[in-house]
Amino acid sequence: MSTQTTTSEYMLLFRGTHWDMSLSPEELQNVMSKWTAWFDRLVERGKIKSAHPLMEEGKIVTWKKGQTVADGPFAESKEAIGGYFLLQMTDLDEALDIAKECPALEYGMTVEVRPVAGSCPSLQKVNAQLAHATS
Amino acid sequence: MSQLQDNGSVPSGEISRLTEHLFRVEAGKLVSVLTGVFGIDHLQLAEDVVQEALVRAFRTWPYYGIPKNPAAWITQTAKNLAYDLLRREKFFREKQTEIAITVEQWSADSLADESPSFETEIKDHRLRLIFACCHPLIAQEAQTALALRTLCGFGAAEIAKAFLTTEAAIAKRLTRTRQKIRELGIPFEIPSGEKFSVRLDGVLQTLYLLFNEGYKASSGDNLVREDLCYEAIRLATLLAEHPLANQPRTHALVALMLLDAARLPARVDTDGNILRLREQDRSKWNRPMIERGIIHLGQAASGDVLSEYHIQAGITACHCMAADYPSTDWSRILSLYDQWTKTNNSPVIALNRAVAVANVNGPAAGIEAVESIQNRAELDSYYLLYAVLGEFESQLHHLEAAAAHFRRASQLTEVKSERVFLSKKARALRS
Repeated sequence: MSTQTTTSEYMLLFRGTHWDMSLSPEELQNVMSKWTAWFDRLVERGKIKSAHPLMEEGKIVTWKKGQTVADGPFAESKEAIGGYFLLQMTDLDEALDIAKECPALEYGMTVEVRPVAGSCPSLQKVNAQLAHATS
Repeated sequence: MSQLQDNGSVPSGEISRLTEHLFRVEAGKLVSVLTGVFGIDHLQLAEDVVQEALVRAFRTWPYYGIPKNPAAWITQTAKNLAYDLLRREKFFREKQTEIAITVEQWSADSLADESPSFETEIKDHRLRLIFACCHPLIAQEAQTALALRTLCGFGAAEIAKAFLTTEAAIAKRLTRTRQKIRELGIPFEIPSGEKFSVRLDGVLQTLYLLFNEGYKASSGDNLVREDLCYEAIRLATLLAEHPLANQPRTHALVALMLLDAARLPARVDTDGNILRLREQDRSKWNRPMIERGIIHLGQAASGDVLSEYHIQAGITACHCMAADYPSTDWSRILSLYDQWTKTNNSPVIALNRAVAVANVNGPAAGIEAVESIQNRAELDSYYLLYAVLGEFESQLHHLEAAAAHFRRASQLTEVKSERVFLSKKARALRS
């Protein structure tokens, strides 16, 4: 049957788009090297399921007297998402430990850590009962 | 960003193979080229476009790997951004066709690997920018800051560290200088005709100051300071390769910088304490750099003008060529100092001459030489005056006098490693 260790997915969202505009070329190159080393370690350990930077361009769609498309994609640029990692983790603590290693934190970037909802909770309950019944 | 996928990127694990300072070096080149495209009135714009291109590299390379030719990627991205700007900004409308042709040409060249014509164009633009930054109407300290920002790709914080001031002060200085360039209509060109020689002197002087700023021992960030030395060498070498600027005094300056910089690795011990020439491990001196310096010194030895750079390079060469301290050719050094003090009455130079005098004729003669320095009062609060006198007195076994001088020297210096060194000497004499 199923083992005790379960893993679940966590999303790291990197917030802040203009924090890097004030870095010098040398600093950019240094932070980039650190970021890459960090990223590569996670890939090697099989932790990353998916990861992408996001372009700054984009639109925002809202409901205001019908559909509204505004230039965006965000109200506050410092809160905008510049990229994400989708991680396969044992628990939230592991995801937080990884987020704390982000080399851009000290320059003002924030990392939001969110568990990915695997499936809807009531469906999980049904599945558990089914598993119990057939064991 | 379609070039990310089709540029044949390498696994990101190899990002460490990026050349050291690549971003900084490319920034320096591209700001010069873009200034040629946008015009020097839009210097800030050129800087912003380059920053944006580097930021795009920074945001994407860790995920997708570095492109095969990172410099070409950055150049191409900067070109795309420049194109967008040309379309968007009204003030480019009149010049649009002309500018578009330039950018088109530039990109076609730059995509061919290390195209010689693009390299020549970069050099040409960098020289124009050197002459613009070192224009006599711009204050000296503003010249060096602007050169570091635009030609060497330094950030305001790094410049501030090197000059021991605040980032805000440097940012303000840079803004004012860009504004001044616009208001005074300082041209983006290599001066021609009779003006050239005078303007070249100004440029050499600025590069010399830039080098010295980096070379002098300091309580600041030594790594950043050493980088100033290397940047000054880079720009001076560029100058020496130009047909007009390829003059004996330019080579003398390059020689001087190389020969001094070659000894940087041996200048401090593992605890960061300053080591004097006689204590330095000469095997740590950078031999290839010394060889390059000697070659430039040879190229400097033509014509009939003996610049101060010639004299200084000659003195430094004597040190570099000596196998050890005792075999240093001090009488040659002294004769160079004699020549130098004839044309320059700086008391600091005279103080250095006194050290040469002591090495040739003994410490008592050294003290005499110090006492006969013109304008000696200017040295009253200069710590090296007392360090030198302390050294002479201790060689004469006047231990009390020596200790007093070293104490005074250590009170006057602001450099911590120097202070530690000097008070140690004062204590050693008393025990």
